[in-house]
Amino acid sequence: MAETTVLKDSHLSLSAKLRQKWAEIYKARWPYLFISPFYILFLIFGVYPILFSLYLSLTEWKGLGPIKFVGLKNFELLLKDKVFWQSMTNGVILFFLYVPIMTLLALVLAVILNSKRVRGFRFFRTMLFIPYIMNIVAAGFTFRLMLNQKYGLVNLMLGIFNIAPVPWLESIWGGRISLCLLVIWAWLGYNMVIMLAGLQTIPSELTEAALIDGASSSQAFFYVTIPLMRPVILFSVVLSTMGSFNLFSEIYNLTGGGPINATITPVIVIFNQAFGNFRLGYASAMAYLYFIILFALTLLQFRYFGQQAD
Amino acid sequence: MLGKKMLNFMGIILLIAVLLSACAPTATSAVEPPATDAPEATPVASEAPSVTEEPVEAAKPSGKITLWMWKAAHDALTNSGVLDEFKKEYPDVEVEIVEYAPTDVYQKLPLALQAGTGAPDISLVENSHLAQIVALGGLTDMTEWVTPYLDKMNAYKWADAKLDDRYYAMPWDSGPVVFYYRRDVFEAAGLPSDPEGVSEAVVTWDGYFNVCQTIMEKTGSACFSNNKANNYGRLYEMMLWQQGLGYYNAEGQVTVDSPENIATLETLKKFWDANLTSDQLEWTDGWYAELAAETDAKPIATLVEAAWMGAFLKGWIAPGTEGKWGVALMPAMADGQVRAANDGGSAFVIPDQSQNKEAAWALTEFLFGRVDSQVAMFKASDFLPSLEEAYTDPVFSEPDPFFADQAVRPTYVDVVKIVPIAYVYGPYYPEMNGFVATAIQKVATGQTPVADALKEAADAIRAQTGMP
Repeated sequence: MAETTVLKDSHLSLSAKLRQKWAEIYKARWPYLFISPFYILFLIFGVYPILFSLYLSLTEWKGLGPIKFVGLKNFELLLKDKVFWQSMTNGVILFFLYVPIMTLLALVLAVILNSKRVRGFRFFRTMLFIPYIMNIVAAGFTFRLMLNQKYGLVNLMLGIFNIAPVPWLESIWGGRISLCLLVIWAWLGYNMVIMLAGLQTIPSELTEAALIDGASSSQAFFYVTIPLMRPVILFSVVLSTMGSFNLFSEIYNLTGGGPINATITPVIVIFNQAFGNFRLGYASAMAYLYFIILFALTLLQFRYFGQQAD
Repeated sequence: MLGKKMLNFMGIILLIAVLLSACAPTATSAVEPPATDAPEATPVASEAPSVTEEPVEAAKPSGKITLWMWKAAHDALTNSGVLDEFKKEYPDVEVEIVEYAPTDVYQKLPLALQAGTGAPDISLVENSHLAQIVALGGLTDMTEWVTPYLDKMNAYKWADAKLDDRYYAMPWDSGPVVFYYRRDVFEAAGLPSDPEGVSEAVVTWDGYFNVCQTIMEKTGSACFSNNKANNYGRLYEMMLWQQGLGYYNAEGQVTVDSPENIATLETLKKFWDANLTSDQLEWTDGWYAELAAETDAKPIATLVEAAWMGAFLKGWIAPGTEGKWGVALMPAMADGQVRAANDGGSAFVIPDQSQNKEAAWALTEFLFGRVDSQVAMFKASDFLPSLEEAYTDPVFSEPDPFFADQAVRPTYVDVVKIVPIAYVYGPYYPEMNGFVATAIQKVATGQTPVADALKEAADAIRAQTGMP
């Protein structure tokens, strides 16, 4: 398509081509004007920072004073930065810890609440969604109080059943599991609503037909509902994947990245480098490397899941 | 067709963006602080000696100044009435105080300095983060102003305010570290409970260890709180400070893995290994609860912390334990060594973008340079003045009912006078503290031997900061 256009245009001189282009733009000046606010803002707050941080990633800069060009030194340092790689590993671990459980729970709950037979389904939908709109600072603080090893409500309750106090926020896996609890609590409702929306686009005739043909309701669920839901599930999983590397407020307010950096994520590391240590160049390099890795991960997910969906 | 249009459009965007980013360095160099600029109208302000009662006749500063500080500091200013006194002397200066938590200041202030706009006229900064912000730039060079005070303040306080022999901050208070202990617990454990006796019992960290063991055996109380998995190294820093050590040395070499530092952490590790500590994280509800606990509810028996801790204990952490506390000297690493360290303390900085530096300095000098103001604020807050002339005031010898009528302030003063120069705080403090905290967590939870953990931290610090 593009090639034929080039061939057609090739007999025109460059200036004529430009004039023609300009005439086209001029003809559509009003539409361009009306869509311009977005592009102007996008240029200033989107494109400019993205390119500027690409430049910064090759420099050392504190945000004040001269910008020192250092070439690829930041990336070299980054390859040896154990905290950064630990944060990437943490992202993967957190992903496997909570995404499957949360996705499954969200799907099951959505199916249950989609059936009109459940009494008070609107009430339950609301209750499940409320945590999502709760302030995560308040939630993190409350979780921290409840999960305190010695004085927390959770261990107190476990104590009734003679279960020894669990070091929720005082051990590597305890910290990760605590974080996952908070994340699932906060994001389950959101994912459930996505699933619910997906379910409602599936015509009920399909399931009914399957049931009439003698399928059990679990067969109908696994062989009719799930395949049709695949794009929605993919969407939800992709969001959660990026979410698990991007976790910030939840960590900042619950564990602060500890214990022993067990719950630190790339975004927290980048934030600390940029705004705690004033190393904007290094943080930019981190952000770029992190973006490339995440981009590759998402592509993989789309390729694997997306093809099956077709 | 669509694809080509799209490409053209992207091309235009790229072009504009490149042009924009090309402009950036010049734009930022305009913001670059004229750090070597001496403050202009210095003579008037600094010629007014702090001791004279007569205010200066020459043109007085006027206008409005904004001040960032945290709640405890704000309370000290309000409750002591110093702001009213300032108003009497400088009726044309209006002071607006904005309260931020310290952690918020450390994020907002650098951003405002970097942006070149949005900073207050004065900001309070803890000494732990002062050197980093001074190194960032964007602060007013206060050298001419503070020169008369260089000899009057605790000498070690100036280290963080100084960069290339210029001064960028004026100290408020110091954090001499003492040994807080529960008299009731010591009595229950059959140990001496008077300050002299306790000071003698905990003369070294080894002696302290024995005391802790006795307390644990006799009462079941943990000796002190020092969280393992989320430790952030505060107590360890005090132990380094008392030896004049730190994360680096006078030559700027990283000393995180030096034999002395390793030995210091080994000392602390003994307490964890013997299960003599409580695992409550400092500044959380569990910690407050154990400090405020009744005698038979296994309270925390001791607390090695700075003088300002006394104010927090009696003010809001454990007001119900009045009369049960005492203050002794912190243990030394070895017999005969220094029993003094510093933790925290704060200072004022004046951002270079302030439009009213004269008024800002007038307030700074009024509050921190004058004995009257410092004493008034000390009475209201227990923030020990860095201004040494204040120590002769009678308020320093008053007995304190919270400490069973012990006169604790002379102890604070004795300690602050011998605090050694140490290399804990500095321009890379947040980074160094972060790596060392992780190392301490690994040691405390028994994952890594001390030497290996500190070696790993030291290597990371060397790689990241470029220090040798």
